[in-house]
Amino acid sequence: MVPKNIVAKFRDEALLAKALTRLKTQKVNILDVYGPFATHDILKKVTRESRLPYASVLYGIFALVAAFSFIYYTSVIDYPISYGGKPIFSFPPMVVIMFLACILLTTILSVLTFHGRSFIFPGKPAQNIREDATDDSFYLVLDQNYNPEEIKGWLREDGAEEISEMELKP
Amino acid sequence: MITSSIRWPMVAASKSNNEITRDLVAPGENTLPLWWLVGMGLGTLMLAYGGWAFYMSLSQGLGTWGLTNSVAWGWDIINFVWWIGIGHAGTAFTIFFLVFRQRWAASINRTAEAMTVFAVMCAGLFPLIHMGRPWLAFFILPYPNTRLLWVNFNSPLLWDVVAISTYLLMSITLWYFGMVPDLATLRDRSKSKIGKALYGFFSMGWNGSMITYNRYETLTRILGGLAAPLVISVHTIVALDFAVSILPGWHATILPPYFFVGAIFSGFAMVLTIMLLMRKAFDIKQYITNKHIDAIANVLKFGSLVIGLAYAIEIFIAWYSGVDYELYTFFNARMTGSFSTAFWIMVFCNAIAPQVFWFKKARRNVWILFAVSIIINIGMWFERFIILISSLAEDFLPSSWTAYSPTLVDIGIYVGTFGIFICGMLLFIRYIPIIAINEVKAFRKEGN
Repeated sequence: MVPKNIVAKFRDEALLAKALTRLKTQKVNILDVYGPFATHDILKKVTRESRLPYASVLYGIFALVAAFSFIYYTSVIDYPISYGGKPIFSFPPMVVIMFLACILLTTILSVLTFHGRSFIFPGKPAQNIREDATDDSFYLVLDQNYNPEEIKGWLREDGAEEISEMELKP
Repeated sequence: MITSSIRWPMVAASKSNNEITRDLVAPGENTLPLWWLVGMGLGTLMLAYGGWAFYMSLSQGLGTWGLTNSVAWGWDIINFVWWIGIGHAGTAFTIFFLVFRQRWAASINRTAEAMTVFAVMCAGLFPLIHMGRPWLAFFILPYPNTRLLWVNFNSPLLWDVVAISTYLLMSITLWYFGMVPDLATLRDRSKSKIGKALYGFFSMGWNGSMITYNRYETLTRILGGLAAPLVISVHTIVALDFAVSILPGWHATILPPYFFVGAIFSGFAMVLTIMLLMRKAFDIKQYITNKHIDAIANVLKFGSLVIGLAYAIEIFIAWYSGVDYELYTFFNARMTGSFSTAFWIMVFCNAIAPQVFWFKKARRNVWILFAVSIIINIGMWFERFIILISSLAEDFLPSSWTAYSPTLVDIGIYVGTFGIFICGMLLFIRYIPIIAINEVKAFRKEGN
């Protein structure tokens, strides 16, 4: 018999968190949870820390270096103009544009990274597990396994309202 | 419902997730109320007046404005600074919510950000149109050109261009990303084909996956962290447009922090105005509770104290410097001379009227709250008027002193921006949930 994915519906996030604790203890592989909102508890149990902040730091450093290089090239090398006797190369005024360019580029590149990693973008068709996942219900999706009855028992004990099996596309 | 003695409830009633969804999508799903149609009509009329004024400015030139040789910056820059100031509150609430983890801001965040987006759009129109030839606006961008010129990276006027553009992009990004889960809720609830298509497009295929939610929350926290220094820098740069000059009344180091606090102050006042109207219109007192209003009123009280202190510092430093021009600008022109009426209106509206919020009864009285929020924004407009016009109209050389008065075209552009703001906010109220549904659900059990 081909193993299927177990999908359990919960109404309460606290019961879901309790179920997740037990499943993790039992080393059951959790594919994902779908719900109308995220809580710190659920995120910690289902996901691992995102590396997006590290990418953002790299983008920021790149932006600072790029902005400094551009301003240096235009103001010092290509067309140096003396404004009111001020030095041609003056770092303090450069800081403002460097700072703003850092924020601008970090924002744009971080957003693009998010889109790329999550595969979501404007116009993407919705692939809802159920319609009320965006309203008031949580759906816990487990990986295919060979002891579904035992797992279903645990889920019923932990407050799952509905439990079903389906074959989900990888 | 949370019954802690130290945490006040986010939602002032026991509500299920489904009930919260139904309450908060109701403004968009119910029949259009008459006040909405009247508001859109009024906004459209204002837009029409503004459109005429814009056309006159482009076709006849800036001679249609009331500017003179001395007063080269008039209503255009007053209104630019005013709108930018108002736009700061949305990002401030976002920072409170994302960076300082103030959960109570979740109910207000979305509307405040919408207010920021439209306010910054209105503000951005002024630098564009005050160029006279806005079709050549691309000249201010650094690109290789046949004139063999680069822009002046040392000038706050250029910093302003980059800052305002970055701020607009950041505000739109924070606002849009914050509403993606709610757009998915609307997509799944929508019964019309157009609704499903539009909400479906903008919800980016959101399905509530926690793996995506994890990255999404990380991204919004990063954006919030970036927005915090940005919001301080934007109005600081606007202040530097004045502070780096030599004009008496402008050439003061107090200007950057003074402008920044003034921006938060006027922005919060506008948020209070809008929140009070929405609470009444949509009956959402359970979501925007008295505690939320109390918090905003307390911020206004604090802002008023800082603004009052800034006025005192300006006057003290002008006296302490002993410079004749500074003494004239503050003690003659502003306090007792040609601009004294506007000056004392400004002092009353900004530094005195909000002190009424020391009294709890005043913070709980809707009429007082509404009146003071309007008074503050009037006062902040007069503040920008005093700063700009008094220093320009009566500067170093008395023979070049002129009186300044706006023309119908000046007034029309300002009224037109109100039209943009009102129409934009009404469309937002109708088609997008005004309170972040997913955030309120997430915190409803925990409280603030």
